[in-house]
Amino acid sequence: MSNIDMSKPKADLPYGTLDLLVLKTLDTMGALHGYSIARRIEQMSGTLRLSQGSIYPALMRLEQQGWIATKWGVSETNRKVKFYSLTRAGAKQLHVEVANWEQSAALVARILDAKA
Amino acid sequence: MTIKRRLARLFALVRANRLERELGDEVRAHLELAEHDAIARGLDPAEARRDALRQFGGIEQMKEMHRDDRSVRWIENLIKDVRYGLASLRREPVFAIIAIAVLALGIGANTAVFSIVDAVLLKPLPFPNPERIVRMWESTPTGVNSTTALNFVELRRRLHTFDAFSAEVDVNATAEIGGEPVRLQGRRVSANHFDVFGVAPMLGRTFAREEDQPGAANVLIISHAAWQQRFGGDPRILERDVRLDGIPFRIIGVMPPGALDRDRRRPRMAFVSFWKPLALTTEQLEAGSHFLNPVGRLKPGVSIADAQLDMLAARAAIADLIPQWKKDWSVTVEPFDAVLIDGTLRRSLYVALGAVVLVLLIACANLANLLLARGAARQKEIALRSALGASRGRLIAQLLTESLVLGLLGGLAGVALAAALMRAAIPLLPVAIPFTATIALDARVLVFATLVALVVSGLVGLLPALRLSSASAAAALNHGSRGSSGRHDRIRRVIVGAEVAVSLVLICGSVLLFKSLMRLQQVDTGVRAPNVVTASVDIGRDKYPTADDAIAFYARLIERVEAIPGVESASVAGDVPLEGTGGENLRTPATGDTRLLVRFKRADPGYFRTIGLDIVKGRGFTRADRVGSAYVTLINEALAKDLNATFGMTDPVGQVVDLPAIGFNSSTVRQPMQIIGIVRNERVQSDLRADVLGIAYVPIAQAPMLWTKLAVRTQLDTAAIVPSVRAALREVDDRVALADVRTVEQLRELSLSGMKEPAWLIGIFAALSALLAALGLYGVVSHSVSQQQREIGIRMALGARSGEVLSMIVRSVLTTIAAGLVIGLGGAVALTRVTQSLLFEVSALDPFAFAAAAIVMSLVGVTAAIIPAARATRVDPTTALRSE
Repeated sequence: MSNIDMSKPKADLPYGTLDLLVLKTLDTMGALHGYSIARRIEQMSGTLRLSQGSIYPALMRLEQQGWIATKWGVSETNRKVKFYSLTRAGAKQLHVEVANWEQSAALVARILDAKA
Repeated sequence: MTIKRRLARLFALVRANRLERELGDEVRAHLELAEHDAIARGLDPAEARRDALRQFGGIEQMKEMHRDDRSVRWIENLIKDVRYGLASLRREPVFAIIAIAVLALGIGANTAVFSIVDAVLLKPLPFPNPERIVRMWESTPTGVNSTTALNFVELRRRLHTFDAFSAEVDVNATAEIGGEPVRLQGRRVSANHFDVFGVAPMLGRTFAREEDQPGAANVLIISHAAWQQRFGGDPRILERDVRLDGIPFRIIGVMPPGALDRDRRRPRMAFVSFWKPLALTTEQLEAGSHFLNPVGRLKPGVSIADAQLDMLAARAAIADLIPQWKKDWSVTVEPFDAVLIDGTLRRSLYVALGAVVLVLLIACANLANLLLARGAARQKEIALRSALGASRGRLIAQLLTESLVLGLLGGLAGVALAAALMRAAIPLLPVAIPFTATIALDARVLVFATLVALVVSGLVGLLPALRLSSASAAAALNHGSRGSSGRHDRIRRVIVGAEVAVSLVLICGSVLLFKSLMRLQQVDTGVRAPNVVTASVDIGRDKYPTADDAIAFYARLIERVEAIPGVESASVAGDVPLEGTGGENLRTPATGDTRLLVRFKRADPGYFRTIGLDIVKGRGFTRADRVGSAYVTLINEALAKDLNATFGMTDPVGQVVDLPAIGFNSSTVRQPMQIIGIVRNERVQSDLRADVLGIAYVPIAQAPMLWTKLAVRTQLDTAAIVPSVRAALREVDDRVALADVRTVEQLRELSLSGMKEPAWLIGIFAALSALLAALGLYGVVSHSVSQQQREIGIRMALGARSGEVLSMIVRSVLTTIAAGLVIGLGGAVALTRVTQSLLFEVSALDPFAFAAAAIVMSLVGVTAAIIPAARATRVDPTTALRSE
């Protein structure tokens, strides 16, 4: 058993934001398999080092909510792999979450400004 | 969590395997892609692989998270454990079969007994609002009595708390159906009788108000059973007339099947065929004979106490109508179910239930023992799982689930067993079970069986689960093949000791009950003749309108029957032995109003010879003692004693007493009758535990009646003679049926009902529990022998004789057995208060029963221990030593 706790992202990824990032990625890129989603989030975030595996529980949660859909396809390495894409409900949810995020970010920013 | 996700998680349960596979595929594809990229970035394959894994993070942790999130985890575990449990049972079929069989026995017996307890004691009576149905009695200083026609009518008029108040009398009638005379059982009832029970007719109607008045048309309601069996379910039955004792009745209704169909007193195969209106005649109103059994339905919200007060008030209002000598009699209202289910039946059922629960406990103990022994062998597997990270809770859950699988399989087999037991046993029970009880494997009983199976699973599994899961992993893995520890062995011995104790209690109880049953079977009924057949012979007033006609019929019948080869003698009487008879008051001309309640029985001259009652003093009846001649009576020894005690009559023969002379039209006039002789005692009541009652016999030819009992004494087999008797009766009158054919032995058997069943039931349970305890002992000894094989081998190699080794092993179990016996004896003593009430002429502390039970249990226990021990001593020492 490993001593390193890898179930959490290494850089502090605010709780719940992984779902948002996944939705946003799929919104921008269209259907992707798990590896591409993880890579894309890593690339976009730059400094953020993600345990790539942690996107799978997130993908499963989003799928169970009906926000993303899956389809079997073939990977670059010629393996059967699941491709994820945003559903209509998922697109709506993304709007809601983006709005929420911006609202809370603005709130935090205001408080921080006031203190400074 | 949204509903959508909850559903998705539940759905994931059924797809667990597929989801797991897909996740694995995804992870593999992911790593491959990452590796591919890394190689493209210029890493060598080994480095690329490491890099991919590092970037991915902990695979197993992620998968655990995935599993936790995607479905309801505990259910998923449960399903897995059930599968695992089933698989492990399949791997050890012998263990599985024994375990399931032991549980099936315990659960099956419990289910069967519970079905009876439920039907008799727990379920309400099968009528609407049964708590409002009551029975009314007249209470006398010595007990309860039926009521008189006059009291019934006058009380009914004054009651305020009753919705309906009806009287009933059992009657028989001979009907001619399809050219054959058939004797039917029925009841005469008040017009509102069916309102009391709240039962509506299935076809037609019930009686109208005025139909129970004298002079109303002859109408009849038949039971569903009669409609089906006697009239072939004729759909146009309501247009048919049926002749009862020669008188035509119009069928106006058919009652639905159910409790009302069943006969109340002797429900064995018998059923009520008809109800006819009870029209009380002026003679009956004047006669003051206690023959009516009232039942009533209380108004809603009226309590038994209110009804009792109402009844007492009504009784006070008619005090002027009650004869002086009955002034201190009273009236009692009792719930109907209390009448049906008496204390003895209730106690017997609870004792049976208690006994069968003990059997189940023993079965559980045995299984717990088996699981412990098996657990010892599985310690390595458990330790391995624990080392691989399974938590203790998870291990306990897994082990309990395995016992749950066992419990449920055992429960399933148990229900099947219960169904078979009930099919076999219920036909034997009805005599002891009230007519309202329908015993069936219904939903309630199945729920009970399921609960028992669940409780049993917990009982059986908990101890082994706790024990096993706590075993230290290292210790178990190091301990190697030796498996069981001393601690296990001690627990198993304690459990087996408890089994011995409980079995002893049951054996003791069953010995007591059987001894009591034997005492009952030895009770002298007075009947000394070996081959006597009795039967009902009812004639109709239409063909036999006068007393002389009836007397002539008896004479012709006796003459014909006695002419049958093999018949020694035949007689006609009012009642047969053990089946009850009426009661009358006896007075003497000298002592005025002092009364002695005596049994009153009509008999012909041949009755005493036929059933083997000797005349000990004076003379018997002769043909000359008939209507018109001087009234005479014969008394039994018990009555002679009573006469001495009550009236100081030291030499009764030749004395005159005052008894009712009953005319052919049921009119009664008190007449002085001379006591002409004394006969040996005969038992007229079916309860063999009761005292012998005083009987006054009168010549049937001085009190002729339509419904009589024929008794035939034969040198031949009783069954062989019946067709000839039937033929003889047909020669005399082809419209009279020979009914209720029973031998005296059968009458005796019937009188043992209610006593016999508990004895057999507890006996079977005791045998079962002793067998299970023996199995438990056998298991413990063979296990400890297998543990000691090395020691035994060394001893035998050093020259110990097998006898010495055997006694060493058996001695070690004797302590267990002895401890069990002591505790069991203590338990049996503690239960004497329960058992005493079911015993007849046997003390609940009967030393013979205790000794016998202890000896039987010791023998069973030692035998169970010797078998595996003896096998161990036959093993070749070198093999034993090598086995380690």
